Amino acid sequence: MNLKTARILAAAYHILMLYFVTWPGLLPFAKAEPLVFGLPFTMAWIAAWISGSVVCLILLDTVEKRYRTKDGADD
Amino acid sequence: MEQWVVVTIIIAAYLALTLTIGLMAGRGQSDSVTGYVAADRSFGLLVMYFVTGASVFSAFAFLGGPGWAYSRGAAAFYILAYGALGMAPFYWVGPRVAKLGRQHGFVTQAQLITGRFPSKNLSGLIALLSLIAFVPYVTLQMRGAGIVIEAVTDGNVPIWLGSAVAYGIVIAYVLSAGAMAVGWTNTFQGIFMVVIAWSLGLYLPNALYGGIGEMFTQIIAERPELLDPPGLTATGEPWSWGAYSTFILVSAIGLMMWPHLFMKAFTAKDDETMRRTVILFPTFQLFLIPVFLIGFSGVLFPGSPSSSDFILPFMILETDLPALVVGLFCAGALSASMSTGDALLHASASVVVEDGVQQFVDLSERAQRRLMQGIVLLTGAIAYVFAQDPDSSLVLLLASAYGVICQFAPTVIAALYWKRATTKGVIAGLIAGTITAFFFWQNPELKPYEMHEGILGLIVHIPTLVGMSLVTSAQEAEHLQKFFD
Repeated sequence: MNLKTARILAAAYHILMLYFVTWPGLLPFAKAEPLVFGLPFTMAWIAAWISGSVVCLILLDTVEKRYRTKDGADD
Repeated sequence: MEQWVVVTIIIAAYLALTLTIGLMAGRGQSDSVTGYVAADRSFGLLVMYFVTGASVFSAFAFLGGPGWAYSRGAAAFYILAYGALGMAPFYWVGPRVAKLGRQHGFVTQAQLITGRFPSKNLSGLIALLSLIAFVPYVTLQMRGAGIVIEAVTDGNVPIWLGSAVAYGIVIAYVLSAGAMAVGWTNTFQGIFMVVIAWSLGLYLPNALYGGIGEMFTQIIAERPELLDPPGLTATGEPWSWGAYSTFILVSAIGLMMWPHLFMKAFTAKDDETMRRTVILFPTFQLFLIPVFLIGFSGVLFPGSPSSSDFILPFMILETDLPALVVGLFCAGALSASMSTGDALLHASASVVVEDGVQQFVDLSERAQRRLMQGIVLLTGAIAYVFAQDPDSSLVLLLASAYGVICQFAPTVIAALYWKRATTKGVIAGLIAGTITAFFFWQNPELKPYEMHEGILGLIVHIPTLVGMSLVTSAQEAEHLQKFFD
């Protein structure tokens, strides 16, 4: 993947995350039930976005590293 | 042997171990200011990861987190949400800051800012605001340490003694070894906290309710309002979405602006290490889940602690756990308090000397180091005095500290990414933002939609910064070249 695209996607993920864990994006998911892995729905919803953030940053890092080793520059 | 004696022995052993690690770490570090402040820029991945995680997770997360889950329910989820959001931008900002640090020899946040916007007054202003935000934060950590020790020793070791001993140790290793000691003790304390939190967080719901899902099903049946987002206020009224959302926003923006965290960018060995730390950081955030579970397990438990912040020690003591477990828990909570407290003390000294005093008086390296050590003692002493006040509304002060700290964000962003920003612009923005935040902190009833005063400050700060920069003359191209290549 292109470096620029990867950066835009990663930034987009975190902007979406901000939207979906605060008002008004959280409203449709702001409920206690159904329980997910035993946790209240909202808690599991936020935890899922956090886990997604780890995955997203790892993928971005893979792309960035390919570019860094290619031209030796660090940003 | 009585339980509290066993517990006290375990705590003493733990504290002795921390002190040993802290003092040993300082050996081999160079005797320079870079050595004391930035650990000769030598931290590897493991240390960086725990330094960052352990300095973020303080007594606020370990005692305040379960306290919120217990008394305010879903409101506590805000603490879960902001960490990952606050850390992610550092993936880009961090390496850039580190690179400028290596090029120009910056070791503090204010040096970076005043490197771009040369002004002694700006440097002094940043040092002053940092210190204002630091003192209540250190006070909270000390009080947290004292509360835990008093609770688990049945009052045999009172708050004044517990906090004095715990922070005497912290000050001893911060004084002797600086950043290196903070790094190694946090690694040890970070691992300790994670293990304790997960084991208790999984044990309590199982032992008391027969499982996590079972526990929440019972809470939903008996206290449905508690788990209905955005939860409750301290008095049990439903919390507002405006407050919930802006708490997340202000904490996410403020998180990396804390000078003790921002300075980590200067301690990383290389950019790779820093990026890895950022990537792994949200995994530390998930550690709040078991901490919340401990708080939730107290909701339907008979009896209640004197204050919701005591829920963790209360649950540990009421569920007849063996003295060994109680002692280990106490050490875990102390880790949380001390690992943030040491970073705060260390950073406050570095900031006051490097950015405040050093700007106006010329000191030798040796004198700087001496003065920093003096400030560690002074900050510790001031916080200790405040920590003894039983009526101090620390959580309120801490929330307001975030209102001050997040005002650094536009300044840092402008320094790194906006060529047209000017010194007058950033000073005007910083002053306008801080005054606005302070005004709404004093007059909470005037806040629109119950928004956090820090956000209201930013709403005034950003246009002021941009407007003032555009009407003053731009910086010279030659100066800008040092920052943008």
